[in-house]
Amino acid sequence: MAGLSLEHIGKKYPNGYEAVKDFNLEIADKEFIIFVGPSGCGKSTTLRMIAGLEDITSGTLKIGDKVVNDLEPKDRDIAMVFQNYALYPHMTVYDNMAFGLKMRKTPKDEIDKAVREAARILDLDQLLKRKPSQLSGGQRQRVAMGRAIVRNPQVFLMDEPLSNLDAKLRVQMRTEIARLHDRLGATIIYVTHDQTEAMTLGTRIVVMKDGVVQQVDTPTNLYNEPDNLFVAGFIGSPQMNFFDAVVAKEDDKVVLKVGGDTLALPAAKGEALLAGGYEGKTVVAGIRPEDISDEAEDLAKFSGTVIEGEVAVFELLGAGVNLNFDYADTQMTASVAPTTPARVGDVVRFALDPDKIHIFDKTTELAIVH
Amino acid sequence: MKKKDSQAELLKPKKTVTERERTFAMIAIPILILFFLFNTLPLIKGFIYSFTNFKGYGSYEWVGLRNYIDLFTDARVGKSYLFTVKLAFFTTILVNIVSLLMALGLNAKIKFKSALRGMYFLPNILGALVVGYIFNYFFTYIVPAIFHTTSILASGSKAWIAVMIVCAWQAIAMNTIIYISGLQTVPEDVYEAGMLDGATGWSKFRHLTFPLIIPFFTINMVLCMKNFLMVFDQIMALTKGGPAQSTESISFLIYNNGMSGGQFGFQSANAVIFFIVIVTISVFQMRFLNSKEEQL
Repeated sequence: MAGLSLEHIGKKYPNGYEAVKDFNLEIADKEFIIFVGPSGCGKSTTLRMIAGLEDITSGTLKIGDKVVNDLEPKDRDIAMVFQNYALYPHMTVYDNMAFGLKMRKTPKDEIDKAVREAARILDLDQLLKRKPSQLSGGQRQRVAMGRAIVRNPQVFLMDEPLSNLDAKLRVQMRTEIARLHDRLGATIIYVTHDQTEAMTLGTRIVVMKDGVVQQVDTPTNLYNEPDNLFVAGFIGSPQMNFFDAVVAKEDDKVVLKVGGDTLALPAAKGEALLAGGYEGKTVVAGIRPEDISDEAEDLAKFSGTVIEGEVAVFELLGAGVNLNFDYADTQMTASVAPTTPARVGDVVRFALDPDKIHIFDKTTELAIVH
Repeated sequence: MKKKDSQAELLKPKKTVTERERTFAMIAIPILILFFLFNTLPLIKGFIYSFTNFKGYGSYEWVGLRNYIDLFTDARVGKSYLFTVKLAFFTTILVNIVSLLMALGLNAKIKFKSALRGMYFLPNILGALVVGYIFNYFFTYIVPAIFHTTSILASGSKAWIAVMIVCAWQAIAMNTIIYISGLQTVPEDVYEAGMLDGATGWSKFRHLTFPLIIPFFTINMVLCMKNFLMVFDQIMALTKGGPAQSTESISFLIYNNGMSGGQFGFQSANAVIFFIVIVTISVFQMRFLNSKEEQL
């Protein structure tokens, strides 16, 4: 296994479209890195550049200490799991897994040993003689995984490997991949647009948008301290609520004015806003649905940050309830306990946890304070 | 009880033909009549004539299986079988190799792909006789003038090569199109997985491309073999079976001797045997090649 280094990597197509712009990342050995972002953000392109399936227009790509920009995919010592599995339809499961080693002229007994070991890990022992067409989606997925494992590569690349599975199987395979990572101690780069996968699997997550890296951080940091509005909105489900607010000073305390409401901010946040010269300016305030409560205890505790809104949608999820309500010309969501008495049409008072309010610059969209 | 039932059946009003069924019948019946008149009837008549000594005119007598027995001892028939099988065998191989190579080229990331595909398909839309006459001129006048040789068509041992070239030139077009459509069925990500596994160049073709287009290879092999076994137009336009009957194909022999050689009955027997031979070869090919195909 080895680390990777991506220095100023860029991808520009002949028609002038820039899919990836100045991508910089150091990946340590045995790290589980996730590329996440909406469709067309350049995450798959970056992965394909690492694999060698796309040319790198600019920058340097190193695997270990070796620059591999111009190396053929087969010489990069990487294995990839594709979205559609890309199994060889005419080969048995055994041959699918053995093919890479066969092409590398590995002795037959070694191939056999590697394939059987991988089959054992992935519980494919009984399926070795089958063709891909005789397998279910989950089984195909495991074969694709097995094909990567037998090669024992420096780096594993996975391009949305779970997106074709049904919800239940996806959760199951997600756990299996996490376990596999622990077991193999492999360096894995994993592309997904599913932020739950990103949060649960990654040791670090790279959030991308329009070919630009927005933030590289641990799942916890991404969640708690997003660098900008995009990351804040992309990570977390239901997504973070945003509303415009004017920074003001009242009785030596910094507050946010939203329409007729005044939201008191903790001292540290107020100071940061003043230091940034935001007094009197409009900023974007953000708060996650789970940091909004309608319980009496919280309403008393966070009395300085209470707002009111009419419930428009009531979503019972089992373990909780999502209440959608209108506030400050935006649709807000609160994730509350299932015991809530609130129903559609009720005007409900909600308490915002002031420590969990994130504030962003309205023009640059960068975070000012968390 | 049973009797009563059948009586009840008879008493039922007759099922009327619906408008829809009538439309279908109106479309199908004329075609059926034409097919019967121009295909089935001649086939049956030919089969009947094969048991006679009919010359194509005048009276005739039944000769039983005599024509069939004579077929196997007739040197000219034997020679024409040898020539036809040789031509079909080599042309099939040549056509499939060339068209597969062309398809690989035309399926690659090249400029003017569509225009080139269109151009390479042109030979297919020309009539075989027209192509044959053009090549006849080419082999008789142009090639000898350039290389200062005699025409290949005048050589008893080499004229078949000219026939092969003409047959192949025209057949490659259709075969290439079939191979191109075959290549397009191979998913791109299978090739990408292959690239990572180290399958490039020849090993990519051998282990990935070819196994995945075998169904198309089967179609092409069977169609080619069948078409070339039945070669007629090219012979008609190029050599008329010459020189010294060295390029006399079975179809040509059946036509020539049957129509103007006074051997209508005998050549009808030849046609019946030939029909059986072609069906047998095609079925055998399908069976053999199908066993190599993958269920994708």
